Amino acid sequence: MSAPLAMPPPPAADARPQRQIWSVGGGKGGIGKSLLTASLGWQLAQLGKRVVLVDADLGGANLHTCLGLQNPKRTLGDFIQRRVAQIEDVLVETGQPGLRLVSGASDFLSAANINYAQKVRVLNRLRALDVDVVLIDLGAGTSYNIIDFFLISNLGLLTVVPEPTSVENGYRFIKSALYRKLRIATREGPARQLIDDALSQREGKGFKNPVELLNAVREIDPPAVDLMKKAMASFQPRFILNQVRAESDVAVGHHLVTACVRHLGIRASYAGFVHYDDAVWQAVRHRRLFVVEAPRSRASEEVRRLACGLLRGESLQLPW
Amino acid sequence: MGPLLGSHYEILGLEPTATFEQVERAYRYHIGVYSDSALATYSLLDPGERQIARAQVQEAYDVLKDPLRRRTYDVSIGLAPAPVPVSVTHDAAPPPRGVALEGPVTGAALRGFRERSGVSLKDIAERSKVGLRYLQYIEEDRHNDLPARVYLRGFLLEYARALGLEPARTADAYLATLPKR
Repeated sequence: MSAPLAMPPPPAADARPQRQIWSVGGGKGGIGKSLLTASLGWQLAQLGKRVVLVDADLGGANLHTCLGLQNPKRTLGDFIQRRVAQIEDVLVETGQPGLRLVSGASDFLSAANINYAQKVRVLNRLRALDVDVVLIDLGAGTSYNIIDFFLISNLGLLTVVPEPTSVENGYRFIKSALYRKLRIATREGPARQLIDDALSQREGKGFKNPVELLNAVREIDPPAVDLMKKAMASFQPRFILNQVRAESDVAVGHHLVTACVRHLGIRASYAGFVHYDDAVWQAVRHRRLFVVEAPRSRASEEVRRLACGLLRGESLQLPW
Repeated sequence: MGPLLGSHYEILGLEPTATFEQVERAYRYHIGVYSDSALATYSLLDPGERQIARAQVQEAYDVLKDPLRRRTYDVSIGLAPAPVPVSVTHDAAPPPRGVALEGPVTGAALRGFRERSGVSLKDIAERSKVGLRYLQYIEEDRHNDLPARVYLRGFLLEYARALGLEPARTADAYLATLPKR
């Protein structure tokens, strides 16, 4: 079957050709997103890339702990609040060559409510960093800040675990992100009104899925449909399936892609999966990354495979 | 109309040139996607919709796995030209079942038809119980390696049947291309 092959992401406007911004989201907390992001960053650095990890989970920052670092003295909050001038001033060494961190440690909830101008400033400075990959750990949930970071990234990675609640949150995240993208793509007018309806509706009311929304817009504002279709075509979230236990779990990633394509009209793809592995929680207890402490464990091998696949712009295909 | 849209091929996520094995695997995959225990479709479709989706997958599979039904389906959706109409003979023989090939029925012609139908030689071997080796010889027009006529005709009938071709006509047409012994 030809599950859609992921298209190479469009480069950021002012970027050098190689520099990428990747974001890792996950609608639900406690699914191992931070650990996965830290490990992925470490693995990319192992592969020779210059990486900056960014902990954008303000109020819930964990990356420094995953990396076994003490609370860094300078954090993203310092940059946002202009206590330092440059984002380079808050970069922290991690002990792994090629891997640095912008920590969110000790930034409390107040810092989580950054306004639009602050958000743009952070994004611009991240884009200007002279590195290969900026890897952003977004918080859990679907707030606009989280979604906007997800949308401006070259790669939007969505972490899911094979549980119904996680899948449900994943869909919620994807739909919210898409509706927000559609809203940004359309001008003021009747189409926008319908999109706002879709965004503000509770589950089960209004439009069941983006395809229904598109059909409704076609009735009242046909030119907007083209803009929306273009926005949908360039929205290509990638699933990472974490904490896989049963072998049948692996197929869930493919199922999610099929469901997104067929029923949401979204060109999702399946970046990879990582098994639940005792090596992971054991390393966590020692405040070390499992990719460092147990590099030949199954989870470590799978993170390495994931990193290589992402660098090549590949995703998992159905095997026929 | 169910939750799944498009042709049988699209429902199974296949190209029209899909092989029998691909049809099998796609079927099993999609039945899994819409099963009641599937995580991915649990919150997107309600149980009734999932049941209809599974029925749609089943129907697509039932058609595409059967070469004759698939051939008829391909014609009906404009994927393949309609078979050449057969003229009725005066002795009121029953109308032949299956498609008749145009032009000389050489091994190459048979192979072309088989490949366009998306059927592998292995499938034919399994279905017809004719040895793979002989099927290859037939398609490669290796006249010197073919068995005696009496056996060959039997193989050709089986081959034709497996592909949804009119058996007797095809077999005799192929035999007509062989050098006289």
